[in-house]
Amino acid sequence: MKEDIIVSVSTSLGRGAIAVVRMSGLGCLDVALKLFHSKNLTKENVVPRFMYFGKLNLGDVFEECLMVFFKAPFSYTGEDVVEFQVHGGVLLAQKVVEVCLKNGARLAEAGEFSKRAFLNGKISLDKAEAIIGEINAETEGELKSSLRVTNGVLAEKVLSQQEKLTTLLAEIEVGMDYPDETEETQLKTDVFGRLKEIKAEIEQILDDSKNAKYLKNGINVALVGKTNVGKSSLMNALLGQERAIVTDIQGTTRDQITESFLFEGVKINLIDTAGIRQTGDVVEKLGIEKSKQSILQADLVLFVLDGSEPESDEDKQIEKLISDKKYIVVVNKTDKKRVVSKKENEVEISAREGKNINLLKQRILDLVMDGSVDPNALVLTNERQFGILKEADEILEKILSGSNTTLDILSMMIKSLWQTLGKITGNTENEDIINLIFSKFCLGK
Amino acid sequence: MKDEKIENFDSIVIGAGHAGCEAALALARTGNKTLLLTISLDAIAFLACNPSIGGTAKGQLVAEVDALGGEMGIVADKTAIQIRMLNRGKGVAVQSLRAQADKNAYHTEMKKTLEKEKNLFIRQGEAISVEIENENGSDDENDRQKQKEFSKDTDEKLKIGKNKTKFLVTTKLGLCYRAKSVVFATGVYLKSEIIIGSTREAVGPNGFKNSSLLSDSLKNLGIKLLRFKTGTPVRLHARSVDFDKMEVQLGDEDIMSFSTMTEGKVENKAVCFLTYTTPKTHEIIRNNLDKAPAISGEIKGVGPRYCPSIETKVVRFADKERHQLFLEPEALDTQELYLQGFSTSMPADLQADMVHSVIGLERAEIMRDAYAIEYDCIEPTQLKPTLELKTIPGLFFAGQINGTSGYEEAAAQGIVAGINASLFNQGKEQLVLKRSDAYIGVLIDDIVTKGTNEPYRMMTSRAEYRLLLRQDNADMRLTEIGRRVGLVSDERYEKFQKKCQKIAEIEQILQQKVKIDEKTTALFEENGEPLPKENMRFCDIMKRNNIDIFKIDEKFHLFDGVERKLLEIVNTKIKYAGYLKQQEEDVERMLANEGVAIPEDFDFKSAKGLREEAKEKLDKIRPLNLGQASRISGVSPADISVLSILVKKENKTKK
Repeated sequence: MKEDIIVSVSTSLGRGAIAVVRMSGLGCLDVALKLFHSKNLTKENVVPRFMYFGKLNLGDVFEECLMVFFKAPFSYTGEDVVEFQVHGGVLLAQKVVEVCLKNGARLAEAGEFSKRAFLNGKISLDKAEAIIGEINAETEGELKSSLRVTNGVLAEKVLSQQEKLTTLLAEIEVGMDYPDETEETQLKTDVFGRLKEIKAEIEQILDDSKNAKYLKNGINVALVGKTNVGKSSLMNALLGQERAIVTDIQGTTRDQITESFLFEGVKINLIDTAGIRQTGDVVEKLGIEKSKQSILQADLVLFVLDGSEPESDEDKQIEKLISDKKYIVVVNKTDKKRVVSKKENEVEISAREGKNINLLKQRILDLVMDGSVDPNALVLTNERQFGILKEADEILEKILSGSNTTLDILSMMIKSLWQTLGKITGNTENEDIINLIFSKFCLGK
Repeated sequence: MKDEKIENFDSIVIGAGHAGCEAALALARTGNKTLLLTISLDAIAFLACNPSIGGTAKGQLVAEVDALGGEMGIVADKTAIQIRMLNRGKGVAVQSLRAQADKNAYHTEMKKTLEKEKNLFIRQGEAISVEIENENGSDDENDRQKQKEFSKDTDEKLKIGKNKTKFLVTTKLGLCYRAKSVVFATGVYLKSEIIIGSTREAVGPNGFKNSSLLSDSLKNLGIKLLRFKTGTPVRLHARSVDFDKMEVQLGDEDIMSFSTMTEGKVENKAVCFLTYTTPKTHEIIRNNLDKAPAISGEIKGVGPRYCPSIETKVVRFADKERHQLFLEPEALDTQELYLQGFSTSMPADLQADMVHSVIGLERAEIMRDAYAIEYDCIEPTQLKPTLELKTIPGLFFAGQINGTSGYEEAAAQGIVAGINASLFNQGKEQLVLKRSDAYIGVLIDDIVTKGTNEPYRMMTSRAEYRLLLRQDNADMRLTEIGRRVGLVSDERYEKFQKKCQKIAEIEQILQQKVKIDEKTTALFEENGEPLPKENMRFCDIMKRNNIDIFKIDEKFHLFDGVERKLLEIVNTKIKYAGYLKQQEEDVERMLANEGVAIPEDFDFKSAKGLREEAKEKLDKIRPLNLGQASRISGVSPADISVLSILVKKENKTKK
């Protein structure tokens, strides 16, 4: 039986230094090799069960990672399987899943890897009930996470978007099924305009869900800057009295140290390269390459400048590196005479004197969470739901970028969008659209 | 009755409407000695409501029936008096043909076709009972008792040896016929009642005799019945209509035909008119709602939402100031006009007042009253996707008796039931059309999997793969299937093969690369498309937004003398290629589940891990495979995952 390619993060999130993203299904190697580049590695010469080191193309950045290919039937699922081992962390693992989705995989359903393993005879018959349990538990868990954690906020928000689509579809469909009823069925409003509104709403939900993630996992903040600008003292100043939590948090790479502090109830994780904290100062060998690592992990970058010195080439290089990230320019050493030119989005501090540190913390929060820290207003999504919303956003992008689309095609694409959202709301009955047609329009002989 | 008096057939078809005719022809043409039993020979293929064939989604059904080797398209072409293509400009997927048919000619033409068939025996008579006869041919008291016991307990499946069972059909006049299989295509005749105002009369459509006893015989076989309702508007005398106040609706001149067997094009011989109700119409209705049986509760049957009576429209859509109405000629040799949009069951005198309030109908003469009709039909979830009854092999059902509505829907089921009854007689595996094969597949899957709580009408929005299920490729999708079951004649098949060959030739020509010369440049420039950097194949040029096969042909004259229809087919294939591929991938995914059969005796009720709701629904429908299971409402994707594990386990354990 030909099965499509499924993907998901298969290590539990939030723990462990690495995360494994797994794809299964015929053709998953093609998807993998579109993204993963390792020296001389091709589809033809790939050795099963051999670990490759290489770079994974995440769209805007390359991430170093490991890849293993398992050839059917010698894999967990009994199908072709590819696993990526990436540095631990929600955002990174999620990003890997995202690019896999873009390249032809789809998100795995609850318990689907195990289900496939069972159907392919990789798991013995007596385990059937365990797998059924897994499917039901995951399904229920998902349901609960969308209902309980958020009081149904996510389901509700997505549902209202899906309902808008139902209406839109009903209006398009009725015109096609009842072309003679011109008075009733003329498509009056601007379809693209309405889709744009829906797209904005979905992106809002995505943003909100990111916020929720920050609430749960904290905000990852990277400190970058050349040697001796005072990163270490800034770190100390930020951690201050509150440096209670020292953890090995997701979102950080193996060779990095993360320390966290709480601000306004939100955990802020400071990512820095190894070594800095150990000595307290100096001996930093923060090269451009290492900064890249931290930046990739970060929700926000603190770009630290020494205010008492003119900008160097190295500073400019770092600035370039962070140009498409959210960042704050931290002008340190304001206790000395300021030499460096005025920057956009800057905060002047003195790490040594503890000046403006709270202001900086507030700015971090404002920038990342758009100022909102009301946990009740936020939406929490799990991996799968997040992926579905991303998928929906992409379908919308595709529809909106099309021109000259005939109504039959337009409706087909909107329908697929509608079904995608249905994976969150549980509404996938075509009958809903037909019901709306008849309740909304007066039709028939 | 003495056995020698019982006439033997391979199959018996009860009812000669649009389902019955196709079923009978399919059976007879595949070599079965077939009896077609009808209450009235004058009601054969009667267009009881609209004098029209086709329409959105229905046009596709007609083309599919035609491709399988059916008759509806051919007869519609012969008797059409106006033809139009609906949804031009909305994309090929939703384009459908609609023809005004000459009601009298349609009946006559179909009757002639039936009469020509050598294996087909047409008999006027009212079937009143169908009984199961066991293998020895005896139908003694003992067997009857057994049969009754079976009927009481519908959970108990009847175990009948393949093809050993025979059925006895008895008519009201005491005649008895025996056959290996029976197709029920009784339309709306079962215990039908026509309702006009406070008058209720036990008759069939248009006052034909109804069938008052057969539903009880079905009940005795353990079949669950529903009661549905539909209706039809008034018929007016053309001389009394003020056409000047109305908008004329003409046919299209460039349309060929429904059937691929029809040579030449269908001529437009008549026109239709569009008019509107007025505030006065609505006022009359509102003031007399107490006399409207549909609203007062007098009518209990469930009516279709898509075919509401005018009083229902006025009540439900109170803010609408007017409703549009069409006047359609019933036939060329009559003055009768059908008033589309004006179904009602109001008292006859009120109907006149209502009609006279419509623009242009101020002095209209009513010739026939509008009426509502209630009738028995069966709960269609009792059927397999082959249209065979789950509990009694050899009994097939098609058309309005299955809770559908429409001539085309009926014909579509009729041909499938006929094909499958024939395959049943031969002891062969029966035909199931998938949702990705045909609208017919969607229609049947919908009613047998989800059931219906109103007369079911086909709509393009019901078909998830409608880009693949176009009217123009019905023959490509289904001719081979029709051939395999023996219904596609040599003549039709040769014609089909020639067409395929011609299409291949066109595609071959489009593979040619063209140089960027003056002509090519002009083609691009005239259509506002940027010039390509290197030589391109015609088929790639066609992918440009503003260029199609016709524009290329205009410039390069590649296809002089080639039928436009063929060019259109190729044009669609190439221009829609990306989207078609997307749907094909969707289909492939769907088929993965469709390919996993659920054992016939699978015990859903004690299946561990399924939710209670899912168990109940699954047990009621008893889906044949995971795909069908996944479409039952109330069954979730997680249930299907669980089910897939259980089915695999059961299959392995059995081995």
